[in-house]
Amino acid sequence: MSTMEIEGKSVEEAIETACQRLDLTADQLEIEIVSQGSSGIFGIGTRQAKILVSPKESGDDTPLAEAREILETILAYIQVPTTVQATWAEDRIKLDISSNGSGLLIGKRGQTLQSLQFIVNKIYNRRASKKAHIVVDTENYRERRRKALTEVALNLGNRAKKSGKPAASSPLSSYDRRIIHLALKDDRKVRTKSKGDGALRKVVVFPVRKEHAGGKQTTSRNS
Amino acid sequence: MLKELIEMIAKALVDYPEQVEVSELEGEQTSVIELRVAKEDLGKVIGKQGRTARAMRTILSAASTKIRKRAVLEIIE
Repeated sequence: MSTMEIEGKSVEEAIETACQRLDLTADQLEIEIVSQGSSGIFGIGTRQAKILVSPKESGDDTPLAEAREILETILAYIQVPTTVQATWAEDRIKLDISSNGSGLLIGKRGQTLQSLQFIVNKIYNRRASKKAHIVVDTENYRERRRKALTEVALNLGNRAKKSGKPAASSPLSSYDRRIIHLALKDDRKVRTKSKGDGALRKVVVFPVRKEHAGGKQTTSRNS
Repeated sequence: MLKELIEMIAKALVDYPEQVEVSELEGEQTSVIELRVAKEDLGKVIGKQGRTARAMRTILSAASTKIRKRAVLEIIE
C-alpha cells in the first residue's frame, strides 16, 4: 500500500490535491493529518498543511455502497419514500427497497422492478472494476413471485397429465419461465419447453407417455 | 424532474455524457421527453432489442404516475 505525503495551503486543499492525483474521492482515502497549517500574519509564519494519504482498502462494502448509491439516485426522482438496504447474497448484490407498499416500484408483473434492476446492473457494471450481478427487490416480491409461479407450474403439469395434451402458460419473461422449468424439472411425467417469440414467449408443458417415460434425459430444456 | 431522471440515467450509460441533451415538451397531460446522445452512444441508450430504452420508459412511467402525468420518451437519432 502506497502512502503519499501531500502539502497544501489548507487541509482541505491538500485533500483535494490528493483526490486529483489518485483519481479517487475523499471517502475512498485514508487520511492522516500531519499538520494543520496556518496562514500566518501578512504572509509571515505561513505553514503548509501536511497530510498523509493512502487509498482505502476496498473491502466488500465498497461494491454494496456503490450499487446502493446508483439505485438511490434513480429512486430520488420517483416521488415515493424509500430506503435501500444492500447485502451480499452469495455472489450477488441484493438491494432491498423499503417503501410505502403501494406497489408502484413493482409495476405490472414486476416490470418496474425488473427495469430498475436492469438499469442498475448496466450502470454498475460499466463503472465497476469487478463485475457483479445485482438483484433489486421490494416487499419480498421476488420470493412471492417465485411461489406463485411454482403454483402455476404445478397446475399446468396436472392439466397436461390429466388431459394428455400440452398445456401452455401465459406469456412470461425469461426469469419467470425459468421458475416454471425448474418447478417441473423433477417431474418425470411431463417435460417443459419454451415456445414463441420475444415478449410472447411462453412455457409449454408436455405430458410424457408411459412408454417414453424413460427417455426423460434426452428432452431439451431451453429457457 | 422527469427530464432530470432521463438525463441522469442516460449520462450514466454513455461514453460521451457531455453530449447528452434532454428536452421536455410539456403538454396539458402528456410530456414528451426528447433524448439526444452522441451517434456512437445511440446503441447504449437503446440496448439489445430495445431493452435499455424500454427499461427507461418503464421507470419514466413509474415516476410520472406519481405526479399524475403521462410521459413519453423519444430517442432522437
